[in-house]
Amino acid sequence: MSAEAVIGEPEIVALVRERLPNIPFEFSETKTYADLRVAPEHLLALVTGLREDPELSFDLLRNIVAMDMEEDGLEAKYQLYSFRHGHALQLTAPAPIPSCELPSITGLYPAANWHEREAAEMVGLVFTGHPDPRNLLLEEDLRIHPLRKAHPLQKAEILQGIEDGPPGVEV
Amino acid sequence: MSVWPEERVTTAEGDLDTVDMTVNVGPQHPATHGVFRMVLTVDGELVVDCEPYIGYLHRGLEKLSENADYRQAMGWWDRTDYLAGMCCEGAYTMAVEKLAGIEVPERAEYIRVIMMELSRINSHFMFLGAFGADVGSFGTSFVYAWRERERIYDLFEEVAGDRMFPTYFRIGGVTMDLPDNFESRCRWVLSSVRQGLEDFDGLLTGNEVFVERCKDLTPVTPEQAIAWGFTGPMLRATGVPWDIRKAEPYSVYPELDFEIPVGLQGDVFDRFHVRLAECYQSVRIIEQCLEQMPEGRVLAPKLPKTLRINEGEIYMPTEGTKGEYGVYMMARGGTQPYRAKLRSPSFCNLSALKELVVGSYVADAIIILGSLDIVLGEVDK
Repeated sequence: MSAEAVIGEPEIVALVRERLPNIPFEFSETKTYADLRVAPEHLLALVTGLREDPELSFDLLRNIVAMDMEEDGLEAKYQLYSFRHGHALQLTAPAPIPSCELPSITGLYPAANWHEREAAEMVGLVFTGHPDPRNLLLEEDLRIHPLRKAHPLQKAEILQGIEDGPPGVEV
Repeated sequence: MSVWPEERVTTAEGDLDTVDMTVNVGPQHPATHGVFRMVLTVDGELVVDCEPYIGYLHRGLEKLSENADYRQAMGWWDRTDYLAGMCCEGAYTMAVEKLAGIEVPERAEYIRVIMMELSRINSHFMFLGAFGADVGSFGTSFVYAWRERERIYDLFEEVAGDRMFPTYFRIGGVTMDLPDNFESRCRWVLSSVRQGLEDFDGLLTGNEVFVERCKDLTPVTPEQAIAWGFTGPMLRATGVPWDIRKAEPYSVYPELDFEIPVGLQGDVFDRFHVRLAECYQSVRIIEQCLEQMPEGRVLAPKLPKTLRINEGEIYMPTEGTKGEYGVYMMARGGTQPYRAKLRSPSFCNLSALKELVVGSYVADAIIILGSLDIVLGEVDK
Protein backbone atom coordinates (compact mmCIF):
# COMPACT_ATOMS: atom_id res chain seq x y z
CA MET A 1 0.00 0.00 0.00
CA SER A 2 1.23 3.46 -0.78
CA ALA A 3 1.76 6.22 1.76
CA GLU A 4 -1.47 7.98 0.79
CA ALA A 5 -3.64 5.18 2.08
CA VAL A 6 -2.10 5.57 5.54
CA ILE A 7 -2.51 9.33 5.76
CA GLY A 8 -6.00 9.34 4.36
CA GLU A 9 -7.96 8.99 1.22
CA PRO A 10 -6.76 10.62 -1.97
CA GLU A 11 -8.36 13.96 -2.80
CA ILE A 12 -10.63 12.59 -5.45
CA VAL A 13 -12.28 10.09 -3.09
CA ALA A 14 -12.92 12.81 -0.52
CA LEU A 15 -14.41 14.93 -3.28
CA VAL A 16 -16.75 12.14 -4.37
CA ARG A 17 -17.88 11.67 -0.75
CA GLU A 18 -18.50 15.38 -0.44
CA ARG A 19 -20.43 15.76 -3.70
CA LEU A 20 -22.38 12.50 -3.57
CA PRO A 21 -23.02 11.96 0.14
CA ASN A 22 -25.97 9.58 -0.27
CA ILE A 23 -24.18 6.86 -2.17
CA PRO A 24 -22.28 4.31 -0.08
CA PHE A 25 -19.04 2.91 -1.44
CA GLU A 26 -15.85 1.32 -0.19
CA PHE A 27 -12.52 2.79 -1.15
CA SER A 28 -9.35 0.86 -1.91
CA GLU A 29 -6.06 1.67 -3.62
CA THR A 30 -4.71 0.31 -6.85
CA LYS A 31 -1.23 1.00 -8.17
CA THR A 32 -2.50 3.89 -10.29
CA TYR A 33 -6.03 5.05 -9.43
CA ALA A 34 -8.39 4.96 -6.47
CA ASP A 35 -10.96 2.20 -6.63
CA LEU A 36 -14.54 2.62 -5.39
CA ARG A 37 -16.49 -0.56 -4.72
CA VAL A 38 -20.18 0.04 -5.07
CA ALA A 39 -23.19 -2.25 -4.70
CA PRO A 40 -24.98 -2.95 -8.01
CA GLU A 41 -28.15 -1.16 -6.89
CA HIS A 42 -26.17 2.05 -6.38
CA LEU A 43 -24.06 1.74 -9.53
CA LEU A 44 -26.27 3.80 -11.83
CA ALA A 45 -26.74 6.54 -9.24
CA LEU A 46 -22.99 6.75 -8.64
CA VAL A 47 -22.10 6.77 -12.35
CA THR A 48 -24.76 9.40 -13.05
CA GLY A 49 -23.44 11.52 -10.20
CA LEU A 50 -19.84 11.16 -11.33
CA ARG A 51 -20.79 12.16 -14.84
CA GLU A 52 -23.24 14.99 -14.16
CA ASP A 53 -21.68 16.73 -11.15
CA PRO A 54 -19.71 19.76 -12.40
CA GLU A 55 -16.95 19.27 -9.80
CA LEU A 56 -16.46 15.66 -10.88
CA SER A 57 -17.61 15.54 -14.54
CA PHE A 58 -16.15 12.18 -15.49
CA ASP A 59 -16.92 12.39 -19.17
CA LEU A 60 -14.78 9.63 -20.67
CA LEU A 61 -15.44 5.95 -20.12
CA ARG A 62 -12.05 4.44 -20.75
CA ASN A 63 -12.65 0.79 -20.23
CA ILE A 64 -14.79 -1.90 -18.70
CA VAL A 65 -13.09 -4.98 -17.30
CA ALA A 66 -15.16 -8.08 -16.65
CA MET A 67 -13.82 -10.26 -13.87
CA ASP A 68 -14.56 -13.76 -12.67
CA MET A 69 -13.70 -13.75 -8.96
CA GLU A 70 -14.54 -17.47 -8.66
CA GLU A 71 -16.39 -18.03 -5.35
CA ASP A 72 -17.13 -14.27 -5.06
CA GLY A 73 -19.01 -14.25 -8.34
CA LEU A 74 -18.58 -11.86 -11.24
CA GLU A 75 -17.48 -8.25 -11.17
CA ALA A 76 -17.25 -5.36 -13.57
CA LYS A 77 -14.64 -2.63 -13.28
CA TYR A 78 -15.12 0.74 -14.91
CA GLN A 79 -12.27 3.14 -15.59
CA LEU A 80 -13.41 6.74 -15.85
CA TYR A 81 -11.56 9.94 -16.70
CA SER A 82 -12.46 13.60 -16.55
CA PHE A 83 -11.11 15.91 -19.25
CA ARG A 84 -12.13 19.05 -17.42
CA HIS A 85 -10.37 18.22 -14.16
CA GLY A 86 -7.84 15.65 -15.33
CA HIS A 87 -8.68 13.12 -12.65
CA ALA A 88 -9.42 9.42 -12.96
CA LEU A 89 -11.19 6.75 -10.98
CA GLN A 90 -11.96 3.08 -11.07
CA LEU A 91 -15.33 1.66 -10.02
CA THR A 92 -15.91 -1.94 -9.07
CA ALA A 93 -19.42 -3.39 -9.08
CA PRO A 94 -19.96 -7.00 -8.02
CA ALA A 95 -22.81 -8.75 -9.82
CA PRO A 96 -25.23 -10.68 -7.58
CA ILE A 97 -24.52 -14.38 -7.87
CA PRO A 98 -27.34 -16.31 -9.50
CA SER A 99 -28.49 -13.63 -11.94
CA CYS A 100 -25.10 -11.95 -12.70
CA GLU A 101 -27.01 -8.81 -13.63
CA LEU A 102 -25.70 -5.26 -13.69
CA PRO A 103 -27.43 -2.17 -15.04
CA SER A 104 -26.16 -1.06 -18.43
CA ILE A 105 -24.55 2.37 -18.54
CA THR A 106 -24.92 2.79 -22.31
CA GLY A 107 -27.53 5.50 -21.69
CA LEU A 108 -24.87 7.62 -19.96
CA TYR A 109 -21.81 6.60 -21.96
CA PRO A 110 -22.46 5.50 -25.57
CA ALA A 111 -18.88 4.17 -25.53
CA ALA A 112 -20.01 1.46 -23.09
CA ASN A 113 -21.91 -0.36 -25.83
CA TRP A 114 -19.11 -2.56 -27.18
CA HIS A 115 -17.33 -2.83 -23.82
CA GLU A 116 -20.47 -4.28 -22.26
CA ARG A 117 -21.07 -6.64 -25.14
CA GLU A 118 -17.53 -7.92 -24.75
CA ALA A 119 -17.86 -8.24 -20.98
CA ALA A 120 -21.15 -10.10 -21.37
CA GLU A 121 -19.83 -12.74 -23.73
CA MET A 122 -16.44 -13.18 -22.07
CA VAL A 123 -17.54 -13.88 -18.49
CA GLY A 124 -21.30 -14.08 -18.71
CA LEU A 125 -22.36 -10.81 -17.11
CA VAL A 126 -25.87 -9.69 -18.02
CA PHE A 127 -26.28 -5.96 -18.61
CA THR A 128 -29.93 -5.10 -18.17
CA GLY A 129 -31.15 -2.45 -20.56
CA HIS A 130 -28.37 -2.94 -23.11
CA PRO A 131 -29.69 -2.00 -26.56
CA ASP A 132 -27.90 -4.75 -28.48
CA PRO A 133 -26.89 -7.72 -26.31
CA ARG A 134 -25.40 -9.93 -29.02
CA ASN A 135 -22.02 -11.58 -29.06
CA LEU A 136 -19.31 -9.27 -30.34
CA LEU A 137 -16.01 -11.12 -30.66
CA LEU A 138 -17.27 -14.70 -30.48
CA GLU A 139 -19.54 -16.60 -32.83
CA GLU A 140 -23.09 -15.35 -32.71
CA ASP A 141 -24.63 -18.62 -31.47
CA LEU A 142 -21.87 -19.47 -28.99
CA ARG A 143 -22.98 -19.41 -25.36
CA ILE A 144 -19.62 -20.06 -23.71
CA HIS A 145 -17.75 -17.63 -21.49
CA PRO A 146 -14.05 -18.21 -22.14
CA LEU A 147 -12.71 -15.85 -19.49
CA ARG A 148 -14.43 -17.71 -16.67
CA LYS A 149 -11.76 -19.32 -14.53
CA ALA A 150 -13.58 -22.65 -14.82
CA HIS A 151 -13.44 -22.55 -18.59
CA PRO A 152 -10.45 -24.65 -19.70
CA LEU A 153 -7.70 -23.09 -21.77
CA GLN A 154 -8.00 -25.81 -24.39
CA LYS A 155 -11.21 -27.50 -25.33
CA ALA A 156 -12.67 -29.52 -28.18
CA GLU A 157 -12.91 -27.44 -31.29
CA ILE A 158 -16.62 -28.03 -31.83
CA LEU A 159 -18.19 -25.51 -29.51
CA GLN A 160 -21.62 -24.91 -30.99
CA GLY A 161 -24.38 -25.82 -28.57
CA ILE A 162 -22.10 -25.98 -25.53
CA GLU A 163 -23.10 -23.72 -22.67
CA ASP A 164 -21.14 -22.65 -19.62
CA GLY A 165 -22.85 -23.18 -16.29
CA PRO A 166 -23.22 -20.62 -13.50
CA PRO A 167 -20.00 -19.02 -12.15
CA GLY A 168 -17.76 -21.21 -10.03
CA VAL A 169 -19.22 -24.42 -11.42
CA GLU A 170 -16.94 -26.80 -13.29
CA VAL A 171 -18.00 -27.24 -16.92
CA MET B 1 -38.11 -1.07 -65.77
CA SER B 2 -36.99 -3.06 -62.82
CA VAL B 3 -34.78 -6.10 -63.18
CA TRP B 4 -36.16 -7.68 -60.03
CA PRO B 5 -39.86 -8.42 -59.83
CA GLU B 6 -40.15 -7.58 -56.14
CA GLU B 7 -38.83 -4.08 -56.59
CA ARG B 8 -41.42 -1.41 -56.55
CA VAL B 9 -40.98 1.09 -59.29
CA THR B 10 -42.86 4.32 -59.28
CA THR B 11 -43.05 6.79 -62.07
CA ALA B 12 -44.06 9.72 -59.96
CA GLU B 13 -41.87 12.68 -60.79
CA GLY B 14 -39.54 13.93 -58.09
CA ASP B 15 -40.49 11.17 -55.70
CA LEU B 16 -38.71 8.09 -56.98
CA ASP B 17 -39.26 5.10 -54.77
CA THR B 18 -36.14 2.99 -54.48
CA VAL B 19 -35.34 -0.27 -52.76
CA ASP B 20 -32.58 -0.41 -50.16
CA MET B 21 -29.77 -2.75 -51.04
CA THR B 22 -27.41 -4.57 -48.70
CA VAL B 23 -23.73 -4.47 -49.57
CA ASN B 24 -21.31 -6.69 -47.74
CA VAL B 25 -17.77 -5.32 -47.38
CA GLY B 26 -15.15 -7.73 -46.07
CA PRO B 27 -13.90 -9.65 -44.19
CA GLN B 28 -11.56 -10.30 -47.15
CA HIS B 29 -11.48 -6.88 -48.71
CA PRO B 30 -8.51 -4.56 -49.19
CA ALA B 31 -10.45 -1.48 -48.07
CA THR B 32 -11.19 -2.86 -44.61
CA HIS B 33 -7.46 -3.02 -43.67
CA GLY B 34 -7.65 -6.49 -42.21
CA VAL B 35 -10.31 -9.05 -41.46
CA PHE B 36 -13.10 -6.62 -40.69
CA ARG B 37 -16.58 -6.93 -42.11
CA MET B 38 -19.27 -4.33 -42.39
CA VAL B 39 -22.70 -4.71 -43.90
CA LEU B 40 -23.87 -1.50 -45.47
CA THR B 41 -27.49 -0.84 -46.31
CA VAL B 42 -27.49 1.58 -49.19
CA ASP B 43 -30.18 3.69 -50.73
CA GLY B 44 -28.71 4.43 -54.12
CA GLU B 45 -25.30 5.82 -53.24
CA LEU B 46 -26.23 6.82 -49.70
CA VAL B 47 -25.45 4.67 -46.70
CA VAL B 48 -28.54 4.38 -44.49
CA ASP B 49 -27.30 1.71 -42.10
CA CYS B 50 -24.01 0.08 -41.20
CA GLU B 51 -23.46 -3.02 -39.12
CA PRO B 52 -19.84 -3.76 -38.20
CA TYR B 53 -18.78 -7.34 -37.46
CA ILE B 54 -15.53 -8.03 -35.66
CA GLY B 55 -13.86 -11.01 -34.05
CA TYR B 56 -12.31 -12.70 -37.10
CA LEU B 57 -8.87 -12.28 -35.56
CA HIS B 58 -9.82 -13.08 -31.99
CA ARG B 59 -6.99 -15.15 -30.51
CA GLY B 60 -7.91 -15.10 -26.85
CA LEU B 61 -5.04 -12.84 -25.81
CA GLU B 62 -6.44 -12.29 -22.34
CA LYS B 63 -7.05 -15.95 -21.62
CA LEU B 64 -3.58 -16.84 -22.89
CA SER B 65 -1.98 -14.14 -20.73
CA GLU B 66 -3.76 -15.45 -17.66
CA ASN B 67 -2.27 -18.87 -18.31
CA ALA B 68 1.32 -17.82 -18.94
CA ASP B 69 4.26 -16.50 -17.00
CA TYR B 70 4.45 -12.69 -16.79
CA ARG B 71 7.47 -12.75 -19.08
CA GLN B 72 6.15 -15.30 -21.54
CA ALA B 73 2.97 -13.42 -22.31
CA MET B 74 4.76 -10.41 -23.77
CA GLY B 75 5.13 -12.00 -27.19
CA TRP B 76 1.38 -12.07 -27.63
CA TRP B 77 0.96 -8.43 -26.69
CA ASP B 78 3.30 -7.59 -29.55
CA ARG B 79 0.75 -9.03 -31.88
CA THR B 80 -2.13 -6.80 -30.83
CA ASP B 81 -1.14 -3.58 -32.56
CA TYR B 82 1.20 -5.34 -34.95
CA LEU B 83 2.09 -2.13 -36.77
CA ALA B 84 3.68 -0.78 -33.58
CA GLY B 85 4.76 -3.82 -31.62
CA MET B 86 7.14 -1.86 -29.41
CA CYS B 87 4.37 0.40 -28.09
CA CYS B 88 2.39 -2.66 -26.99
CA GLU B 89 5.45 -4.20 -25.36
CA GLY B 90 6.04 -0.91 -23.57
CA ALA B 91 2.51 -0.79 -22.17
CA TYR B 92 2.61 -4.40 -21.04
CA THR B 93 6.04 -4.25 -19.42
CA MET B 94 5.25 -0.97 -17.67
CA ALA B 95 2.06 -2.44 -16.22
CA VAL B 96 3.93 -5.47 -14.86
CA GLU B 97 6.81 -3.34 -13.56
CA LYS B 98 4.48 -1.01 -11.69
CA LEU B 99 2.61 -3.96 -10.27
CA ALA B 100 5.81 -5.66 -9.13
CA GLY B 101 7.58 -2.44 -8.11
CA ILE B 102 10.54 -2.91 -10.45
CA GLU B 103 12.72 0.10 -11.27
CA VAL B 104 13.95 0.47 -14.82
CA PRO B 105 17.43 1.96 -15.51
CA GLU B 106 17.34 5.37 -17.14
CA ARG B 107 19.18 4.29 -20.26
CA ALA B 108 16.62 1.56 -20.83
CA GLU B 109 13.82 4.11 -20.52
CA TYR B 110 15.41 6.26 -23.21
CA ILE B 111 15.92 3.27 -25.48
CA ARG B 112 12.28 2.34 -24.97
CA VAL B 113 11.07 5.82 -25.85
CA ILE B 114 13.18 5.80 -29.03
CA MET B 115 11.74 2.44 -30.01
CA MET B 116 8.17 3.41 -29.15
CA GLU B 117 8.40 6.61 -31.15
CA LEU B 118 9.94 4.82 -34.13
CA SER B 119 7.01 2.41 -33.91
CA ARG B 120 4.62 5.31 -33.85
CA ILE B 121 6.17 6.75 -37.00
CA ASN B 122 6.01 3.31 -38.54
CA SER B 123 2.34 2.91 -37.75
CA HIS B 124 1.45 6.40 -38.92
CA PHE B 125 3.29 5.81 -42.19
CA MET B 126 1.19 2.72 -42.67
CA PHE B 127 -1.87 4.92 -42.17
CA LEU B 128 -0.65 7.62 -44.54
CA GLY B 129 0.14 5.09 -47.26
CA ALA B 130 -3.06 3.09 -46.91
CA PHE B 131 -5.23 6.17 -46.52
CA GLY B 132 -3.77 7.70 -49.64
CA ALA B 133 -4.62 4.47 -51.42
CA ASP B 134 -8.18 4.58 -50.02
CA VAL B 135 -8.69 8.07 -51.33
CA GLY B 136 -7.35 7.22 -54.73
CA SER B 137 -3.61 7.74 -55.20
CA PHE B 138 -3.26 4.02 -55.38
CA GLY B 139 0.38 3.10 -55.83
CA THR B 140 2.32 6.21 -55.00
CA SER B 141 1.45 6.84 -51.37
CA PHE B 142 1.88 3.18 -50.55
CA VAL B 143 5.34 3.05 -52.05
CA TYR B 144 6.33 6.29 -50.32
CA ALA B 145 5.23 4.78 -47.01
CA TRP B 146 6.97 1.49 -47.61
CA ARG B 147 10.28 3.12 -48.39
CA GLU B 148 10.48 4.65 -44.90
CA ARG B 149 8.90 1.71 -43.13
CA GLU B 150 11.49 -0.66 -44.58
CA ARG B 151 14.25 1.55 -43.22
CA ILE B 152 12.68 1.63 -39.77
CA TYR B 153 12.18 -2.12 -39.85
CA ASP B 154 15.81 -2.60 -40.87
CA LEU B 155 16.81 -0.53 -37.87
CA PHE B 156 14.61 -2.66 -35.60
CA GLU B 157 16.24 -5.76 -37.01
CA GLU B 158 19.71 -4.40 -36.25
CA VAL B 159 18.70 -3.57 -32.69
CA ALA B 160 16.39 -6.39 -31.70
CA GLY B 161 16.88 -9.10 -34.28
CA ASP B 162 13.34 -8.99 -35.58
CA ARG B 163 11.31 -6.61 -37.66
CA MET B 164 7.64 -6.72 -36.76
CA PHE B 165 7.50 -8.58 -33.47
CA PRO B 166 10.82 -7.77 -31.84
CA THR B 167 10.00 -8.73 -28.21
CA TYR B 168 12.87 -6.40 -27.42
CA PHE B 169 11.58 -5.09 -24.11
CA ARG B 170 12.04 -7.07 -20.93
CA ILE B 171 10.43 -6.63 -17.56
CA GLY B 172 13.04 -4.37 -15.97
CA GLY B 173 14.58 -2.95 -19.13
CA VAL B 174 15.44 -4.16 -22.61
CA THR B 175 17.17 -7.35 -23.79
CA MET B 176 20.45 -5.88 -24.99
CA ASP B 177 22.17 -2.58 -25.47
CA LEU B 178 22.03 -0.71 -28.75
CA PRO B 179 24.64 -1.51 -31.40
CA ASP B 180 27.65 0.81 -31.58
CA ASN B 181 26.64 2.57 -34.75
CA PHE B 182 23.04 3.05 -33.62
CA GLU B 183 23.14 6.81 -33.25
CA SER B 184 24.44 7.50 -36.75
CA ARG B 185 22.11 4.90 -38.26
CA CYS B 186 19.14 6.32 -36.38
CA ARG B 187 19.92 9.88 -37.43
CA TRP B 188 20.13 8.74 -41.02
CA VAL B 189 16.75 7.00 -40.73
CA LEU B 190 15.26 10.13 -39.16
CA SER B 191 16.49 12.32 -42.00
CA SER B 192 14.95 9.85 -44.38
CA VAL B 193 11.68 9.93 -42.41
CA ARG B 194 11.65 13.72 -42.59
CA GLN B 195 12.06 13.49 -46.33
CA GLY B 196 9.25 10.95 -46.48
CA LEU B 197 6.98 13.25 -44.51
CA GLU B 198 7.77 16.12 -46.85
CA ASP B 199 6.91 13.87 -49.77
CA PHE B 200 3.57 12.97 -48.19
CA ASP B 201 2.86 16.59 -47.49
CA GLY B 202 3.44 17.38 -51.13
CA LEU B 203 1.61 14.37 -52.49
CA LEU B 204 -1.51 14.51 -50.29
CA THR B 205 -1.86 17.73 -48.29
CA GLY B 206 -1.13 19.78 -51.38
CA ASN B 207 -3.39 17.73 -53.60
CA GLU B 208 -6.62 19.43 -54.49
CA VAL B 209 -8.52 16.21 -55.24
CA PHE B 210 -7.43 14.72 -51.93
CA VAL B 211 -8.40 17.81 -49.95
CA GLU B 212 -11.74 18.07 -51.75
CA ARG B 213 -12.62 14.52 -50.80
CA CYS B 214 -11.53 14.73 -47.16
CA LYS B 215 -12.45 18.24 -46.06
CA ASP B 216 -15.75 18.54 -44.17
CA LEU B 217 -16.36 14.80 -44.31
CA THR B 218 -18.03 13.64 -41.06
CA PRO B 219 -16.89 16.40 -38.74
CA VAL B 220 -16.98 15.28 -35.10
CA THR B 221 -17.41 17.64 -32.16
CA PRO B 222 -15.27 17.16 -29.03
CA GLU B 223 -18.41 16.23 -27.03
CA GLN B 224 -19.33 13.50 -29.51
CA ALA B 225 -15.79 12.21 -29.62
CA ILE B 226 -15.59 11.92 -25.83
CA ALA B 227 -19.01 10.28 -25.59
CA TRP B 228 -18.00 7.68 -28.18
CA GLY B 229 -14.76 7.00 -26.30
CA PHE B 230 -12.39 8.37 -28.94
CA THR B 231 -8.78 8.82 -27.88
CA GLY B 232 -5.50 9.52 -29.63
CA PRO B 233 -5.42 11.20 -33.04
CA MET B 234 -9.19 10.72 -33.46
CA LEU B 235 -9.83 12.87 -30.40
CA ARG B 236 -7.06 15.36 -31.10
CA ALA B 237 -8.47 15.95 -34.58
CA THR B 238 -11.54 17.45 -32.90
CA GLY B 239 -9.33 20.01 -31.17
CA VAL B 240 -8.87 18.44 -27.72
CA PRO B 241 -5.15 18.59 -26.90
CA TRP B 242 -5.14 15.38 -24.87
CA ASP B 243 -2.19 13.07 -25.06
CA ILE B 244 -1.42 10.60 -22.27
CA ARG B 245 2.28 11.29 -22.72
CA LYS B 246 1.48 14.78 -21.36
CA ALA B 247 -1.69 14.24 -19.32
CA GLU B 248 -0.53 11.23 -17.29
CA PRO B 249 3.15 10.99 -18.20
CA TYR B 250 5.07 7.76 -17.98
CA SER B 251 8.65 6.69 -18.75
CA VAL B 252 10.91 9.70 -19.53
CA TYR B 253 8.32 11.72 -21.46
CA PRO B 254 8.22 14.52 -18.84
CA GLU B 255 11.86 15.32 -19.67
CA LEU B 256 11.22 15.62 -23.38
CA ASP B 257 9.92 18.62 -25.21
CA PHE B 258 7.20 18.08 -27.78
CA GLU B 259 3.88 19.51 -28.84
CA ILE B 260 0.44 18.02 -29.29
CA PRO B 261 -0.87 18.69 -32.79
CA VAL B 262 -4.62 19.22 -32.88
CA GLY B 263 -7.20 19.57 -35.64
CA LEU B 264 -9.93 22.14 -36.08
CA GLN B 265 -13.21 20.34 -36.69
CA GLY B 266 -12.53 16.60 -36.44
CA ASP B 267 -13.22 15.81 -40.07
CA VAL B 268 -11.36 13.22 -42.10
CA PHE B 269 -8.78 15.72 -43.27
CA ASP B 270 -7.97 16.73 -39.69
CA ARG B 271 -7.50 13.10 -38.69
CA PHE B 272 -5.04 12.72 -41.54
CA HIS B 273 -3.25 15.93 -40.76
CA VAL B 274 -2.92 15.28 -37.03
CA ARG B 275 -1.16 11.99 -37.73
CA LEU B 276 1.16 13.62 -40.24
CA ALA B 277 2.05 16.35 -37.74
CA GLU B 278 2.56 13.80 -34.97
CA CYS B 279 5.31 12.10 -36.95
CA TYR B 280 7.33 15.33 -36.89
CA GLN B 281 6.94 15.46 -33.11
CA SER B 282 8.06 11.84 -32.82
CA VAL B 283 11.18 12.70 -34.81
CA ARG B 284 11.82 15.57 -32.38
CA ILE B 285 11.41 13.24 -29.40
CA ILE B 286 13.85 10.69 -30.81
CA GLU B 287 16.44 13.38 -31.56
CA GLN B 288 16.25 14.62 -27.98
CA CYS B 289 16.53 11.07 -26.67
CA LEU B 290 19.67 10.49 -28.72
CA GLU B 291 21.24 13.58 -27.18
CA GLN B 292 20.12 13.05 -23.58
CA MET B 293 20.54 9.29 -23.35
CA PRO B 294 22.91 8.41 -20.48
CA GLU B 295 25.33 5.51 -20.37
CA GLY B 296 24.71 2.62 -18.05
CA ARG B 297 22.72 -0.53 -17.59
CA VAL B 298 19.87 -1.51 -19.85
CA LEU B 299 18.35 -4.13 -17.53
CA ALA B 300 17.63 -3.78 -13.84
CA PRO B 301 20.04 -5.82 -11.70
CA LYS B 302 18.95 -8.60 -9.35
CA LEU B 303 15.71 -9.40 -11.07
CA PRO B 304 14.08 -12.57 -9.76
CA LYS B 305 14.44 -15.61 -11.99
CA THR B 306 10.74 -16.30 -11.72
CA LEU B 307 8.64 -13.25 -11.27
CA ARG B 308 5.97 -13.62 -8.58
CA ILE B 309 3.58 -10.84 -7.67
CA ASN B 310 1.59 -11.18 -4.49
CA GLU B 311 -1.30 -8.82 -4.61
CA GLY B 312 -2.21 -5.81 -6.62
CA GLU B 313 -4.23 -4.24 -9.32
CA ILE B 314 -3.31 -1.69 -11.97
CA TYR B 315 -4.73 0.11 -14.94
CA MET B 316 -1.80 1.46 -16.92
CA PRO B 317 -2.78 3.88 -19.69
CA THR B 318 -0.25 4.64 -22.40
CA GLU B 319 -0.44 6.62 -25.59
CA GLY B 320 -0.53 3.96 -28.25
CA THR B 321 -0.43 4.84 -31.90
CA LYS B 322 -4.22 4.72 -32.30
CA GLY B 323 -5.15 6.18 -28.93
CA GLU B 324 -5.18 5.15 -25.31
CA TYR B 325 -3.62 1.71 -25.12
CA GLY B 326 -4.38 0.65 -21.58
CA VAL B 327 -3.41 -2.52 -19.78
CA TYR B 328 -5.43 -3.65 -16.80
CA MET B 329 -3.82 -6.30 -14.67
CA MET B 330 -4.65 -7.98 -11.42
CA ALA B 331 -2.25 -10.18 -9.46
CA ARG B 332 -3.26 -12.56 -6.71
CA GLY B 333 0.00 -14.36 -6.10
CA GLY B 334 1.82 -16.83 -8.28
CA THR B 335 3.69 -16.42 -11.52
CA GLN B 336 0.67 -15.62 -13.68
CA PRO B 337 -1.65 -12.62 -13.66
CA TYR B 338 -5.12 -13.32 -12.32
CA ARG B 339 -6.60 -11.09 -14.99
CA ALA B 340 -5.08 -9.18 -17.88
CA LYS B 341 -7.21 -6.92 -19.99
CA LEU B 342 -6.40 -4.77 -22.96
CA ARG B 343 -8.16 -1.47 -23.55
CA SER B 344 -7.56 -1.24 -27.24
CA PRO B 345 -7.99 2.15 -28.86
CA SER B 346 -9.01 0.81 -32.27
CA PHE B 347 -11.83 -1.15 -30.64
CA CYS B 348 -13.24 1.99 -29.04
CA ASN B 349 -12.76 4.17 -32.10
CA LEU B 350 -14.36 1.57 -34.34
CA SER B 351 -17.44 1.23 -32.13
CA ALA B 352 -18.69 4.58 -33.43
CA LEU B 353 -18.37 3.57 -37.10
CA LYS B 354 -22.12 3.40 -37.62
CA GLU B 355 -22.65 6.95 -36.39
CA LEU B 356 -19.85 8.16 -38.65
CA VAL B 357 -20.78 6.54 -41.94
CA VAL B 358 -24.59 6.72 -41.93
CA GLY B 359 -25.63 9.50 -44.25
CA SER B 360 -22.49 9.56 -46.37
CA TYR B 361 -21.79 8.04 -49.75
CA VAL B 362 -20.47 4.50 -50.17
CA ALA B 363 -17.16 5.75 -51.53
CA ASP B 364 -16.82 8.07 -48.53
CA ALA B 365 -17.63 5.26 -46.11
CA ILE B 366 -14.40 3.59 -47.21
CA ILE B 367 -12.44 6.78 -46.54
CA ILE B 368 -14.10 7.23 -43.15
CA LEU B 369 -13.19 3.69 -42.18
CA GLY B 370 -9.64 4.32 -43.37
CA SER B 371 -9.43 7.53 -41.36
CA LEU B 372 -10.18 5.61 -38.14
CA ASP B 373 -6.84 3.84 -38.65
CA ILE B 374 -7.88 0.54 -37.12
CA VAL B 375 -5.62 -2.43 -36.74
CA LEU B 376 -7.59 -5.62 -36.41
CA GLY B 377 -5.11 -7.44 -34.23
CA GLU B 378 -5.90 -4.87 -31.58
CA VAL B 379 -9.66 -4.71 -32.17
CA ASP B 380 -10.13 -8.46 -31.90
CA LYS B 381 -7.50 -9.16 -29.21
